[in-house]
Amino acid sequence: MSMKIDTVTSIAKKEIMDNIRNKWIILVSIMFAILTLVVSYFGSLMSHGWQNLGVTISGMTFLVTLLISIIGFMLGYAAIIGEIESGSMSALLSLTATRFEIAMGKFLGLGSVLCFTVLAGFGAAGIVIGLNVSNVDYLQYLGFIGMTMVFGLVFLSVALFFSTVFSKRSTALGGTIFLWFLFIIILPIVFVGLLATAINLLNIAQESIPTWYYVLELFNPVSVYSALIGITIGPVSSMTGEGNVPYPSWYSPGLLLGVLVVWILLFFILASWRFNQKDV
Amino acid sequence: MYYSPPVWEHHYMETQFVKCPVCKTKISVSGNPGEKVNITCPNCHEKGFFIIPGGRTEEGSVELRAIVVQGLTKCYNSFKAVDTLSFSVKKGEIFGFLGPNGAGKTTTIKAILDLIHADEGTITINDIDVRTQGKEARKYVGYMPEKVAFYDNLTALQNLRFYAEIKHASTEECSTLIEEFGLGDVGKKKVGAFSKGMVQRLGMARAVLGSPPIMILDEPSGGLDPRGVVLVRDKILDMKKKGVSIFVSSHILSEIQEICDRVGIINKGILVAQDTVDQLGKKLKLKPQITVTVQTMSSAIENAVKKVPKVDHVKVVGNTLEIVCDATAKASVILAVSSAGGNILNLQMKEPSLEEVFMRYTEA
Repeated sequence: MSMKIDTVTSIAKKEIMDNIRNKWIILVSIMFAILTLVVSYFGSLMSHGWQNLGVTISGMTFLVTLLISIIGFMLGYAAIIGEIESGSMSALLSLTATRFEIAMGKFLGLGSVLCFTVLAGFGAAGIVIGLNVSNVDYLQYLGFIGMTMVFGLVFLSVALFFSTVFSKRSTALGGTIFLWFLFIIILPIVFVGLLATAINLLNIAQESIPTWYYVLELFNPVSVYSALIGITIGPVSSMTGEGNVPYPSWYSPGLLLGVLVVWILLFFILASWRFNQKDV
Repeated sequence: MYYSPPVWEHHYMETQFVKCPVCKTKISVSGNPGEKVNITCPNCHEKGFFIIPGGRTEEGSVELRAIVVQGLTKCYNSFKAVDTLSFSVKKGEIFGFLGPNGAGKTTTIKAILDLIHADEGTITINDIDVRTQGKEARKYVGYMPEKVAFYDNLTALQNLRFYAEIKHASTEECSTLIEEFGLGDVGKKKVGAFSKGMVQRLGMARAVLGSPPIMILDEPSGGLDPRGVVLVRDKILDMKKKGVSIFVSSHILSEIQEICDRVGIINKGILVAQDTVDQLGKKLKLKPQITVTVQTMSSAIENAVKKVPKVDHVKVVGNTLEIVCDATAKASVILAVSSAGGNILNLQMKEPSLEEVFMRYTEA
């Protein structure tokens, strides 16, 4: 499959320009910065005032999973179907751009928007926190920002696929909302429910967690991201209960990051394939 | 196009699909334009021949075709939107594509551009197969969709520059085009604030970006004010002068009649006619209408005209007679009116219009 880089760049650039002009990037960046600062200053029950970045990250991981997944979905769900519905896709496809180039350009453009908002929002907050606390591990914080970007790209990729599956923007939105509930609420409950059939959850510290549970967790990007943050940065408390379930030794940062990358690639390939079949 | 005997049923004009006159089996025929191909029906073994459309021009050279559609079929579930459609657009001509709402015009256009995937048939643009080499084929095409849309958050200039980049056209051209299409004052405003007519003009500007040799225009005048309609029409005629091949779909039949060299009429997914407007009128045996206004109308005048040979229909409206007759009967009609005491104040003759042709070909 031949791909013209300049075509992909032009499409990506357009997506970025479109999002800058509708002020989306600015608003979400500000929201991230405020969230981080609020969690850092007011989030700890143990002590008052600014907390260091490690504590801040641990405190807001669950909120980040909620928000980043929504943002990834919101950016991507209408990327293809929205343009088909508005009519601009037919004009774009009548030019020399291939469907793969369009999908790639959109993914890169929207991905850049997502990454920039994460970097700007968390980065600005990180600087403010860094100025107020000592012994700041900036590398760890940058790692957190990077992992959060990858996590966001997973949801963008899934949303892009949904954008090619449905024939209406509204149904694509409905589909992504369902998927959000699936990843954030339904799957964790189902997985813990399955775990409860195997061990006594009330005495989890003494129980040996079966391997299949950890394998299952790899099928939910939210769990993978939480585990990744938990392993690389520190304990993370979330609705999924990972805070109480120890991670196995074979859960390495490389593996978990790899799983997230597989999610991104898999759904991007599916999106490109589906878009190629689609009548515009 | 097909010469008897035996008389094979020519499924559609200028097509490479024919139907066996005996068993109605649909047969695909391949050959060079103008080539006589012998056919034997694979089902009933009836023999005949078919001349591949395209033929030769009066000068003897093989006609060059910008767009060739052969046996295009597209179904949406059980609904056949387009059924074995075959036609071609010659290089340098304006080809009008007409049909009632839902006839399959936009489906055909989208299939030509490979925006939708045809179930059957082949489409070539400048002899390049659209399905297998779509990107290469689309290099030669400028397209204006029926539903013109842009990125609302970007300005007109930013939008055009984006499309110019994708089309690998000069971005310098964008400002000139914006001026040319009367959008100079609003070029730096967001398209979201544009009226429908302004968006339509910008859509036309986008289509002509990079001066493509083939234009596909789907309802280019829709939503335009009269000034805009004239602007677009002049632009189309200007492009034709430059040798651009233009495929235009429109509901404004008078406009089509005025600018098109040939027309194709599609009804319920089937191409029912394809020729010049004059030729289509002749094939339908449509007759001109003579309108005679007299000083004082009388039944004697009406009866006298009715008795004239080759007069099909006479209608009296006040002091005016509306007569449908052969063109050759015009002198006899005038004579009959005068002989019956009619003092002719005005006389007009109207050739069959595209509207009549269209209505006849698309009636249930």
